[in-house]
Amino acid sequence: MRYRGMRSDPSPERGEAVPDDKLEVSRRGFLQGAGGAAAGALLIQPDAAAAPKARKSGEQSVTLMVNGESRDVSLEARTTLLDALRIRLEDPLTGTKLVCDRGTCGACTVLLDGDPVCSCLVLAVDAVGHEVTTVEGLAPEGEMNAVQRAMCKHDGMMCGFCTPGITVTLTAFMEAQPAATREEVQAALSGNYCRCGTYPHVFDAALEAGRELQEGK
Amino acid sequence: MARALQDGPPTEPAPEGKEWKKTSKDVDGHPVDHWILVDKDDGGPTWPARERLSLLNKDIERVDGAEKVTGAAVYSHDVRLEGMLYAVVLPAAIPQGTYSLDLDAARAVDGVVVAQDVAGGEVRYLGQAVAAVAGITPDHARDGLRALGVEFEAGEWALTREQAMAEGAPAIGRRGNRRSGRARGDSDATRAALESAAAAVEAEYTLPVQHHVCLETHGVVVDYRGGGEATVYASTQGTFTIGSEAAGTLGLRDSDVTAVVEHMGGGFGSKFGLDIPGDIACRLALEAERPVHLLLDRKGESSFVGNRSGGWQRVKAGCDETGKLVALDAEIETYGGLGRGSNPGLPYIYDAQEYSRVQASVMTNTDSSRAMRAPGHPQASFAMESILDELAYEAGLDPLELRKTNLSDPVYHRQLDRVAAEIGWSEHPNRTAPGTGDGWTATGIGFGVATWGGGGRPVCEVDVKISSDGSVTVEVGTQDLGTGVRTYVAAIVAEELGLQVEQVTPRIGSSRYGAANASGGSVTTACLAPSVKAAAWAVRRSFLEKVAGARGVDSGQLKCADGAVHDLSSAAGKLSWSAACALLPSEGVAERGKWNHKLAGNGVHGAQGAKVEVDLKTGQVQVLEMVAVQDCGLPLNHLALRSQLNGGMIQALGYALLEERVLDPELGLNLNPNMEDYKIPGSMQMPLMKAIVDEEDDRQVVIGMSEAAVIPGASAIANAVHNACGARVRELPLTPDKVLAALGRV
Ligand code: FES
Ligand code: FES
Repeated sequence: MRYRGMRSDPSPERGEAVPDDKLEVSRRGFLQGAGGAAAGALLIQPDAAAAPKARKSGEQSVTLMVNGESRDVSLEARTTLLDALRIRLEDPLTGTKLVCDRGTCGACTVLLDGDPVCSCLVLAVDAVGHEVTTVEGLAPEGEMNAVQRAMCKHDGMMCGFCTPGITVTLTAFMEAQPAATREEVQAALSGNYCRCGTYPHVFDAALEAGRELQEGK
Repeated sequence: MARALQDGPPTEPAPEGKEWKKTSKDVDGHPVDHWILVDKDDGGPTWPARERLSLLNKDIERVDGAEKVTGAAVYSHDVRLEGMLYAVVLPAAIPQGTYSLDLDAARAVDGVVVAQDVAGGEVRYLGQAVAAVAGITPDHARDGLRALGVEFEAGEWALTREQAMAEGAPAIGRRGNRRSGRARGDSDATRAALESAAAAVEAEYTLPVQHHVCLETHGVVVDYRGGGEATVYASTQGTFTIGSEAAGTLGLRDSDVTAVVEHMGGGFGSKFGLDIPGDIACRLALEAERPVHLLLDRKGESSFVGNRSGGWQRVKAGCDETGKLVALDAEIETYGGLGRGSNPGLPYIYDAQEYSRVQASVMTNTDSSRAMRAPGHPQASFAMESILDELAYEAGLDPLELRKTNLSDPVYHRQLDRVAAEIGWSEHPNRTAPGTGDGWTATGIGFGVATWGGGGRPVCEVDVKISSDGSVTVEVGTQDLGTGVRTYVAAIVAEELGLQVEQVTPRIGSSRYGAANASGGSVTTACLAPSVKAAAWAVRRSFLEKVAGARGVDSGQLKCADGAVHDLSSAAGKLSWSAACALLPSEGVAERGKWNHKLAGNGVHGAQGAKVEVDLKTGQVQVLEMVAVQDCGLPLNHLALRSQLNGGMIQALGYALLEERVLDPELGLNLNPNMEDYKIPGSMQMPLMKAIVDEEDDRQVVIGMSEAAVIPGASAIANAVHNACGARVRELPLTPDKVLAALGRV
């Protein structure tokens, strides 16, 4: 393996090359520390020993309660609730979106017994026995709820990829706290990223939905 | 204005019956003014006076809003097909060198169907896609990827500017690692003018590499099962940029491949063509003869589908006693990895009596930059708006006034004045010198301006049909990136026919419909809306002729309005829409519209201001308020325009305060390839936002504005931080450590 090259940091001068021998040591040291690379080549095979070559299928059938219906679905213990909904269900529910797959963005938000959760962080088997509500379940008869109507009216969406997650989060929050202030809405949405930048219109929508929900009570 | 951005108009005279029309085209991600020959006025359609519009130039609710808030909208990610495989991609773990694969190890894994080498053994940049595996679920495909053997043989690489420029650095570009562009302006005159300037400043500005962070990652679903046809569901900015490339890979004829883009989850300049994931998906589908779903994971998304180029700019500027810019000298480097990066050059849109600049791009073994919303402009804006502020304070002048002194276009004056009024500049204490705050926090205000082309050209072919049952459809293959294209397509037709928006069904997003431009450079509105208008105009005339023929009257006395057809010659002559349509022959009436230059304009202006609060103890910056004033000719939909303006400001806020790709400079590991470490603006960072459509622009043409909205915000925020407390941070993003360092506190 040749690790010839230059490095900039933390060498003090612009463009100063670090002698090869020094670099050789530091890089090899790093690689050995990182994974015990064989001299001569960098072997990247993280799970070589544990490669699931002869792994038996861990498929099992479970029943999920989704949007008020019980649905039988075949999945594995590792299947996330998000993948169960989007991929494993016979008629997949793709309204819930996959974006970061690690609990950062909120695009995969669903309600679990009424509470918003990131479905990418919930194993599907752990949702058995609980009531799952997805964005599709917010308007079961095609009748949109107050948040959905206000989102349309205030243009709380652009590309719309974050919109299902935001709509689910807001529905749970505004129904619980219809008198919420703008600041409280901001805090409630702190787990939902939108790249297009719809937030100001989403806040307007939330406040309008809140007013409507309060009047309806 | 925009001297740096355009070539001159054509010198030859227009032939008989023709005239030159200024439009814009995208060159290397820059809008460049472009002249075309068009027919002289032929009495065709024009946009009605604004007071006569009943739908357009107002707030129009998005026609696909309900689909989006109920989860019914189908994106490429959501396409599910019988027998479909899910594919995943392995990014290279070294920035340069070779690799070998043991694909059989992956193929042997339960649930894996195909595995392929996708880069031919050679790695040119970090994170490059080298292998792909498709399995019955994403989990199974990932099992295959984990089992797959890969051995990298490291070569030589350069990851930073310093490494690329060092002696003995590996050759990355064919023409060297540093490519210089043409020098512009007069350097001798500039130097002399700088020496005699009343006030002069010099500074260096550094820009990070920013990611697009589209929430829907790049990719496609290819529906190919052997046979002679394929459909590609693509997350793309160009329906018509997919088909022939996919056909090439699949060995089909172009005409046998259909591209579908029903909805797409953000592109911001990075999604054109079949692209790397699309090509890989086609190859996998070709081998498997099964549909393949390949939409990248977050790591892939931040590894090999582009970014906004970084850069470095050294600027010297001088002004006279009145603030008039007498000289500006700039040295610019762009860092676009294996690409060239972009910067339209300084003095950007300002006037300088003398200027000179040299520009170069330095290549590294990192992912190539791509177009990103107003490519190069936020970069140029940051240096230009910063140096103007530095100069103003050096000369003891008001930076707002100094801007106006150096902008010859009066539109900018009125826009800057409006922004200043909205944000409270005249009551602000720090108008000619930065403040110091109260020991705990400090509040400041900053400004910036923007330009963009946003003009159209003849591409779109739009079909409008009125059926005898009264239904109206409008079809064109264009795509809606979230800007609201689908909505204005329907609204333009509804306006023309005197209907409500819901009475018109827009069908877009398929290469089976009429041709359309790719949506880059904010050209869609000016390319598409005129064609829609022309089709609607033509179909209204044909429709009224048919109705008039059936009624035995002159079509000139019929008029479409308020959901009915009015016969102006008789009081009783009003026909309901359905009654009028019932008079049509069974095939209905249809017309195709093409682009009409009289309906499209070119060139937009925008001004923005930001008010920030700096925490002097922590260096934390909170943006309190952002204001944008933006023109666009005739506004089609104010609601969607405000959404786009907000979006531009928010992305600029991210560029100003949060966003930067961080690479380890030795091995090139991407240290923030996900959304918890690469921060984009969230709800808690949202300032009070005022998105103002400049209604004093009375041009009766449509022009795209979305790129302009993203340009000046970061500059305004950086200037506001300095205005608050004297901390001049010359490197984006303005993280707390840099703010504290600029305050001399660390
Ligand atoms: S996909 Fe679950 S939080 Fe991002
Ligand atoms: S609307 Fe596009 S990400 Fe939120």
